[in-house]
Amino acid sequence: MSTAALPLADAPVDWHALAAQARFRRRLSTGLLYGAMALGALPVLVPYLWLVTVAFSGRTGATTFVLWRTLAVALPALVLASIVGLVIDDARRRRRGFLLIAAVTALILAFVAGPHLHLHNWRFLWNPDVADAMLGASGVGGKFPSVWTAFVNSLVLAGTQMALVVAVATLAGYYISRFAFSGRAVFLQGLLVLHAFPAMTLIIPIFLMMYWIGLQDTIAGVILVIAALELPFAIFVMKGFFDAVPWDIEMSAMTDGASRRQAFFHVVLPQVKVGMLAIAIFAFIRGWEEYVFVRTLLIAQENWTMSLYLFWTITDVMGVDYALVSAVGVFYVLPSVILYLLTQRYLTQMTFGGIKG
Amino acid sequence: MARIELDRVSKRWGEVVALEPTSLAIENGEFVAVLGPSGCGKTTTLLLLAGIYHPSSGEIRFDGAPVNEVEAKDRNVGIVFQSYALYPHMTVRQNILFPLRFRHASAQEKDRRLAEAAALVQIESLLERLPNQLSGGQQQRVALARALIKAPQLLLLDEPLSNLDASLRLAMRSEIRRLQRRTGVTTILVTHDQIEATTMADRIVCMRHGRIEQIGTADELYGRPASLFVASFIGAPPINLIAGRAEDGAFKADGIALPVDGEARGDVILGVRPEGVSLGQGPLSAVVGEVEPMGRETLYVLETPLGTLRALEAGAQRSFGQGERIQLGFAASDTLLFDASSERRLPARVRLAS
Repeated sequence: MSTAALPLADAPVDWHALAAQARFRRRLSTGLLYGAMALGALPVLVPYLWLVTVAFSGRTGATTFVLWRTLAVALPALVLASIVGLVIDDARRRRRGFLLIAAVTALILAFVAGPHLHLHNWRFLWNPDVADAMLGASGVGGKFPSVWTAFVNSLVLAGTQMALVVAVATLAGYYISRFAFSGRAVFLQGLLVLHAFPAMTLIIPIFLMMYWIGLQDTIAGVILVIAALELPFAIFVMKGFFDAVPWDIEMSAMTDGASRRQAFFHVVLPQVKVGMLAIAIFAFIRGWEEYVFVRTLLIAQENWTMSLYLFWTITDVMGVDYALVSAVGVFYVLPSVILYLLTQRYLTQMTFGGIKG
Repeated sequence: MARIELDRVSKRWGEVVALEPTSLAIENGEFVAVLGPSGCGKTTTLLLLAGIYHPSSGEIRFDGAPVNEVEAKDRNVGIVFQSYALYPHMTVRQNILFPLRFRHASAQEKDRRLAEAAALVQIESLLERLPNQLSGGQQQRVALARALIKAPQLLLLDEPLSNLDASLRLAMRSEIRRLQRRTGVTTILVTHDQIEATTMADRIVCMRHGRIEQIGTADELYGRPASLFVASFIGAPPINLIAGRAEDGAFKADGIALPVDGEARGDVILGVRPEGVSLGQGPLSAVVGEVEPMGRETLYVLETPLGTLRALEAGAQRSFGQGERIQLGFAASDTLLFDASSERRLPARVRLAS
């Protein structure tokens, strides 16, 4: 029996070279990947940066030199930070590197942009007569409501609509998930169609209907309309969550002495809390940023919401005060951002236990 | 503790009949197993008794009183589901106390009963855990405690041992039996595992396709099965079945004629259990096909003129090897004869003329 000789490597393997190659390749690929993503993120983030810097530094008109200076400082800092992140492998030293870069950048920004920051654009918070300070009479006839009225109206609109959507969608989702009734399949298909339906096409009919009902120019009317438009999606989401709750624990609760309603509240509802939170947040955000129906249905100044306030700030016969607009914009966006930051932890938590298999 | 009666109770879902009209009586304090394959209607029966399903016809009685109209929450029935159905967002303590929430008991009463229930199933140390922090066996014990804390009239168990591993199964078998004896509660166990049924229950109700095949003790189902289905379902390894014809007082199959004691006519099926086949002596000659050692016994697969038969030999000695030609016999009292079309057992035995 002859043995074929396998070509074995006689020379000792250079592990250091291999490791260095792998390190280089890893850094290259990670760098390219993050570089591409950063490039993609730039068009998304720079407008926000524009908004914030102009809100704090602009004078009437779009004075954006602060923005460019900020970018001129921030972008090299980011590039430097990513190089540090790629090259330094030790976590502690890397963190120290990041902190150092952040501190230096903050210092430079303080010198470059600091002197130009002011709060003049935020005067609408304490001085409702924004219209007088603008370049010319706006289309509203000269008088603006206080931004706080608009803020409260927005809050009421979004909040009430959120409560309505959550209550109705939860109950509807439970019923569709658990009960067989004639027309169930048609109803579900109808929900999908409704969700895909462009609501814009209904503006005129809704306007007329609100007028006839007598709810025109009321927040209540807008709440009903927006809640109705948000419901199909919300019901679908809640149905999905209820489908995932096993029938077993409801049956168990019923034999344990709970009526159907008690079983629902004590045992089933806690399982779908995450779903309820999700649709609540979506509904709130939708209500907060609603513009089309608010513009169509609300007229009187006391009924303005934040979106209308922003709109009228922009609509100006003699030229727009973009600095004011961006300040109002930042003020408008802030609650949404805070809401997301507070609740994202809960949205990503999902636990299922107590049911085997 | 209650006497349970089902009087011609049936359940249908539209066209599908889950349970044919069934009558059954269970005595106070009895432990009954409902045994059958999947889809035989056993879980339906359980849920009808619990009040979660409403019967399509017939009457259910607790202690002689009809309870068809009584809601599930008022029936005071404890039920342990196959998946245990513990409430995932509540601790073990809250899970067990849940039935008492709707009963207006004082705080001391609740604590006392919680302590009793926890001691009964030995989970005192687990009270503050969440269900997803418990093992399968622990979850089951919590489910049992929750079912027992309300001192139920009736305890229903839906395949309680099927999700447990083999060693835990053995321990929980005696555990559940001990609990039942100690509390004296009327218990109905639903299972597809005949070992569970025969080892735990006082009486067994064997079901198939929504119909009761036989009710009796384990011995009765084993020794005097009412039908072919019961005979094949009970007993592992399963009974040997040989098809043939009974005419002129003899069982004829493949050229062999054996005398029949009793009434039998037409196409019949002869049943002999593997443990009833005596190896080494007898008038039947056979060739050993396969030898399967199982530790404390050996299973032989034998080719005989009557067809393929299985036989069990007790002990580990393995007297016969593969390919050997041996003699077989069986006692008349170990034979069962079934009518081939109705599948009912006939009052007849088959003798081996020796």
